[in-house]
Formats: sequence, structure tokens, C-alpha cells
Amino acid sequence: MAFFKITLIRSGIGMTKKQNGVLAALGLRKRMSIVYHAVTPDIAGKIMKVKELVTVSETEFSETKQEIRARRSPPKGWVVEN
Amino acid sequence: MLQRILRPSVLRPVAALLRPATAAFSTASPLRNLAQETVAPATPAAPIATAPIETPAAVEADPSISLLPLLRLQGAHYITVHINGFPFLVTKGDQITLPFRLKGVSAGQTLKLTHASVLGSRDYTLKGNPYINPEIFSCKATVIEETAEPMRIKEKTKRRNRHVKKVRSKHSYTVVRIKELEVLDV
Repeated sequence: MAFFKITLIRSGIGMTKKQNGVLAALGLRKRMSIVYHAVTPDIAGKIMKVKELVTVSETEFSETKQEIRARRSPPKGWVVEN
Repeated sequence: MLQRILRPSVLRPVAALLRPATAAFSTASPLRNLAQETVAPATPAAPIATAPIETPAAVEADPSISLLPLLRLQGAHYITVHINGFPFLVTKGDQITLPFRLKGVSAGQTLKLTHASVLGSRDYTLKGNPYINPEIFSCKATVIEETAEPMRIKEKTKRRNRHVKKVRSKHSYTVVRIKELEVLDV
């Protein structure tokens, strides 16, 4: 199953209410936030509404917010021995 | 906006102690990087839930392993350990005040430090890519205490406005001492 990986590159501050509404519908809150959505015509239409603010790529997998955070965070580097 | 920080005159604790100057000189050619095999972050079907785990290549397979005994035989070693992603250049006996609180840890416990990017002695330096094979070294630290910085107060105000907002900060720090640093016989 294909997914859109959508990254908010331009902030929604100063954009129209409609565009901010679309960003909220996509789940994009802050700049550089990443969200995965299935490839469907309605998601594609939302992307087209905010295409100037957003970078999109297609992937085979999707990640939750927790998974993205875990992937990006550095290894702890320590283990408690006793 | 006017800002004033009120802080006691005691200096804030620094994150790491500096190594003596002798460690900076490396007259011999440094060891080539021990190649680390990196696992591709996420296969399309099953993304992993943790940070990318690097499976180290077999220690015996790397050609630079021939210089490891020379590194091992030199007495004084230093290491750049990475704790929660922060690098600290330390040697045995150093006490470091981490600029954060280690969660799930209490005073007196021993920690095994597993991630290091540089391990060196006077004439030899081993650099990881980005981390050194953990089979090569053993670095242990003891948690000394959980303390906090002195309270600092940031005053925020605007011109021609008598209201002053005071923001108080007192971050927790964990103090740790390096008890053991050994280059193992591989």
C-alpha cells in the first residue's frame, strides 16, 4: 500500500483560513512536521490545496509520530548494570 | 525587550572536564576507521521503532585491527563517549556533570557506556564510523549524585511598563564518575 510522506516546509502563519484548515485536516502542526497518509484522491486534493507549503514523497510504509521520534532520537549510550 | 538574568556568583557547572594537552598530539598515523555496517533504517514493510541500530562488522575482519594491540599497550587512554547523544571526552577518574537528568537511574548505580566515537592514547587514535565496535572497549561509570544548577531568575519586561515577569529555572543535573576505561584484548 502506498503512502504520501508529507512534510510542512513553509509555515501556515499568514496563510488563508482555508489553507490552515487543510493543514489541520492533514495533521500538520509545525514547520518540518511529517505526516503519512494513504494515497487516495481526497488526500491528493488536500495536498494540491497546500502544495506551495509542503514537500511530498511516496513511500511504501507509514510511521506514527512515536515511531518517527524513536527513529530520529540518538541511542542512549548507557545501560544500568546494577 | 529588556531581559536581566539574576544568578548567584557561583559558576554554573560545566559539562565535561578537558583532557591534558598531551592527548592532542598524534605523531603516528591514525588508525583507519573501523568500518561499521549500518542497517538500512526501515524496510518498507516493517519500520523499526527504535533508533537505527548499527550492527558492527566482525572485529577480526577489519585490517586496522592489527594496530589495536599498539593502542592497547599504551598506558593512558581517553574516550569520547556519547550519553543521550552528547559527546564527552573523558578518561578514567573523570567526574562529569551531565547538563540533564538521567532518567531511571539513582545514585550508586553503575552504568556501562556503550557508544563511543573516539578512543585514543598518546600516539594512536581509533575513530568509529560513527561509533566504535563496543567489543573493543569497556567503559563504566558510577552515578555520584542527582543535583541541580543554582536557581536563576530571568526578568522580562518592556519599556515604559512597570510590570516585570520573573521566570525561574533550576535544571536538574546528574553527576557521573568514570570508574573504568579499558581497551580490551580482541
